[in-house]
Amino acid sequence: MEAIQENKEPTTTPPAERLAYSVQEAADMLGINYFTMYRLIQRQKLKTCRVLRGKLLVPRTELLQLLQTDLR
Amino acid sequence: MKYYERPTPLQEQANAEAIQHFAEHLKQFKANCDALHNIECNLPATANDAFRAALQSSGHIIQTDDGTQWQHAVDLTKITSVCHRRTAAGLEFAVVECLPLKSLEMKDVLNSGHDAREVLQAFAHDQRQVFKVWKDDMTAQVREYLEEKYPHQDMSIVVESFEIKLARDISRRETLAQNQSHGVRI
Repeated sequence: MEAIQENKEPTTTPPAERLAYSVQEAADMLGINYFTMYRLIQRQKLKTCRVLRGKLLVPRTELLQLLQTDLR
Repeated sequence: MKYYERPTPLQEQANAEAIQHFAEHLKQFKANCDALHNIECNLPATANDAFRAALQSSGHIIQTDDGTQWQHAVDLTKITSVCHRRTAAGLEFAVVECLPLKSLEMKDVLNSGHDAREVLQAFAHDQRQVFKVWKDDMTAQVREYLEEKYPHQDMSIVVESFEIKLARDISRRETLAQNQSHGVRI
């Protein structure tokens, strides 16, 4: 029984499968500092959305698109 | 509650916790403000250096993602530099960003024009706008953090003090840079 429990998948969603990230999380994923991240947002290289309190969120699709554009 | 009212002990505690929680943010914000301040203070000298490099046609070649070729003149930050090139219309200057994204590199022209000083001023102005985006987002994050940590408590005084501190930090450096560029000693 204990062994079965140990092998259970975690119940929380892994961070890589989330739909959007905070600016800091996105910066960490891209390996750039916060200022560079906000600069990409200000230059509209990355589109963001605002949640209730005005916090910026970067959609996962935007991050993937940025990296794909960069690969071309 | 207004920001000029005395904070309660709980608000003081929340403020200390928020400062600790957002320490990396605050550190990077200040460091980048300082870096921009230095660029603004050295703007005339940097423009002169760029112009001199352009006249000597010196500097390694940088090809940006739009296909144009530039010659490196002066580094501004770790990832941005002033570059130059000769065109039919004369010398052209640009601030070029070489942004490493993991193993890739994005090379973008941020600002360009025929006057190096004007290009640098436009660059500095754009960077200031970035700080405003950052400040607004950081304020929202502090608000969210406090609302989750202290539900049903009025923490607006703490959020406002954060916002004012960041705004003051930006404007103080802006004022300093403007005064120095006009030769006013502070």
